This record gives sequence, structure tokens and C-alpha cells, in this order.
Amino acid sequence: MQSLLSRAPRLAPRHLPARAFATTSARLQAEPKPVLMKEFKIYRWNPDEPEKKPTLQSYHIDLNQTGPMVLDALNKIKNEVDPTLTFRRSCREGICGSCAMNIDGQNTLACLCRIDRDANKDMKIYPLPHMYIVKDLVPDLTLFYKQYKSIKPYLQNDNPPEKGEYLQSPEDRKKLDGLYECILCACCSTSCPSYWWNQDEYLGPAALLHAYRWIADSRDSYAAERKEVLQNEMSLYRCHTIFNCARTCPKGLNPAAAIAQIKLQLATE
Amino acid sequence: MASSLLVRSTLPRALTQRSILRSTAIQARHATDDAYNAAYIPGGPVYKGTVNDPTTFPPPSRANGSYHWAFERLLAASLIPMTAAAFATSGTAHPIVDGLLGVSLVMHTHIGFDSILVDYLHKRKFPIIGPTAKWTLRAATVASLVGIYQFNTNDIGLTELIVKVWHA
Repeated sequence: MQSLLSRAPRLAPRHLPARAFATTSARLQAEPKPVLMKEFKIYRWNPDEPEKKPTLQSYHIDLNQTGPMVLDALNKIKNEVDPTLTFRRSCREGICGSCAMNIDGQNTLACLCRIDRDANKDMKIYPLPHMYIVKDLVPDLTLFYKQYKSIKPYLQNDNPPEKGEYLQSPEDRKKLDGLYECILCACCSTSCPSYWWNQDEYLGPAALLHAYRWIADSRDSYAAERKEVLQNEMSLYRCHTIFNCARTCPKGLNPAAAIAQIKLQLATE
Repeated sequence: MASSLLVRSTLPRALTQRSILRSTAIQARHATDDAYNAAYIPGGPVYKGTVNDPTTFPPPSRANGSYHWAFERLLAASLIPMTAAAFATSGTAHPIVDGLLGVSLVMHTHIGFDSILVDYLHKRKFPIIGPTAKWTLRAATVASLVGIYQFNTNDIGLTELIVKVWHA
């Protein structure tokens, strides 16, 4: 007990800054690690200066004083180097989908993306491609959410069970695996060339995956209506099975398979 | 420290100023509602309706939807045995197979090009070039079909031509 008490102040020294989550302080490391500087080139655009073109701004970070993920590096830059750097983040564990961005040419979640330890290569960070930018790494996802709303992402059933909850067989429940995990980070939709060119009409992989999640649900009785609204040239059939969505999904889901299932059900009904 | 205090003291003022600006902007938007709707650009920064309205669907049409897709897929799949049949037989002996292959190839190409036009030159974004391209494609498809018909009835036919070019 005595030794524990005496150790406590050393674990949380008073002189540390309050905001130091993303940073491994050199003072806390048993022996000082060598400096490993890596360059981060980050897309910057400020809406307060709209006449200034977007630029890539360089930041040099010591990887041995940073957490392992890209989000840690971004937090370190924001906390210690440049507080004007703007990005969305929340859970830091890949469940909220806030920190979706384009890292080294791949849409992914910054919190799930490890920093490449090769200090000779720079790391380029852009916002999600082909979206309107609010500021720096923050894209405008309004249309994305409007489209998600349009597929009615909630249970619709006119005959609820008289007593208790909706029951579902384990087999029917299994149909929702690989669908319900989607966190709507928009990585897949913004990696899809069809969505780039026609996002005002084409729903995009994320919204279509969710559409299929409700079509496949045995407790939902509106599958016919859900499928009927997709019977047009644009909403669903702009998917040309490019598979960028399945390749980029940071949760390892396969929106292309869900879209293929919708197409098959529409063709065979 | 002094500068942060300064920022803190000016922040509420800046915020109120901003909210005033925003409310006047909203009033202006409601005042010119028609002008606001007219400013809608397909795929542009101006949305249809408010941010809380879902996007709308075009009227359902199976001819544009599942029938079109199923036809396209079946056509593409049937091209494989038809091409194999053209290899196995002679176009002169089986003019029907030859003609079917010609028509299917042209239809398949038409659907492919049409898909490109819908993707990149849609009418809603290109009100003049879009329909022009669409009708040019249709004219080209009809011309190809007529040409294939003429070639297959009055000349050696498609399969024989490919055989000849291959051995030339």
C-alpha cells in the first residue's frame, strides 16, 4: 500500500498538459526512443478564405512520440502543432464512423488505419473524395444522410405481434450479418465512381446496403414497397459492380454483394 | 494568456454576429423561395428541400429497372454460346446463327454505350448534348443493324468476314 501510494504521483505527474491523449510523453517512457520524424501532408481549405485554393500542408511528427493510428497523429498535430486543423472524430475505435477520410489514396477510418512506420515516405491525407468540403478534412454529408433517410431505415410492419417482441429464427437473423454492422461512415459511397458522377440520383453502396438490410429482415413486411422504389434507371442500376465499395470498407463489409442481392431479387420477383 | 482571454471575450460577440448573419440569410432564402428552388443544380451544393427531407425517387418503371437489367445480363451471357457456335459452324451454312450473332452484338454494344451516356451525359446535367448523344447513338445502332442485314444477305456475312480477316 505504501509503495502504491508513493508511486501514484509518478504515474500522473502534474506538469503534463491536460490534453495529451494522443501523445506518448517522452517523460513517461522508460528510456528515450530515437526520433522518427515522418511527414504528413494534409489537405487544407478554409471556408473563411474561399478565394484561396485548397493546399496540402506539411506537418512533421515524431512517430515515437505518437500513438500508432493516423487519428493519433492528427490529434497530436491539432493539440501540439496547429489547432486550426479541422477533422471529425469521436470514438477512436472504429464504431462511430466520424473520422472517415482518404489516407494514402484509400478511403478509411483514421482511427483504424495504422501509420506506415517508413519515415522516408510521406503520408497524404485528403477528405472523402468528390464531396463538398465544409473545412479541411470535413466533408458535407447532408445528401448522404438524406439518401439514407429516403430508404426508410426502420422496421415497417402493419401486423405487430399481439404480445411481446418480434420473433426471428436463427437462420433469418443470420441474413442480417454483414449488413447490420455498417456504421455509415460513407467510405464506400465516396469511393464509388458511379456515386461521384451521379450522386444526386444514385443512392450509393451505403444506402443500398441498408436498403437490403431491411428487405432481408424477416420482421419487416414492406419488402415489396422497398424494392418497388428502386425500379428505375438511377437509384440502384447505376451500380456497375466496380467493387470499390467492398475494397475500401473499413469494417470489412461487402456492399456490392448486398446490391447484387437486390438486383437478383428484383429480376426474379 | 492575454490573447486567449481576448479570444474568449470576443467569441460570444462573434457568435451572435454570425447567428444574426445566418438568420438574415434564412429570411432571404424564404423571401425568394422560387429563386432558391431554381438554383438547384443536379448533384450540386444546393439540395432539393431542407436537410431533413429525404431524397425522392423517380417514378418506378420496370422497363428501366429490372427488365432492362435482366435483358442486358441474359444478352451478355448468351453471347458466349453464340460466339462459340460461330466458331464451330460456318456462317454460310447457318445464316440464322450468323444474323442472330450480328444483332446481339449490336444490341450489346448499344446497351453498353447507352450506359456510358446515362452515366456521363445525362439529360438532367446536359440538356442539349445529352439527348443529342442519345439520338446519335440510336441512329448509329439502326445504321449498324441495317448494315449487318445488308452484309449478311447480299455479301459473305459477319462470320465469314472475320474468318477471312483472320486468315488474311
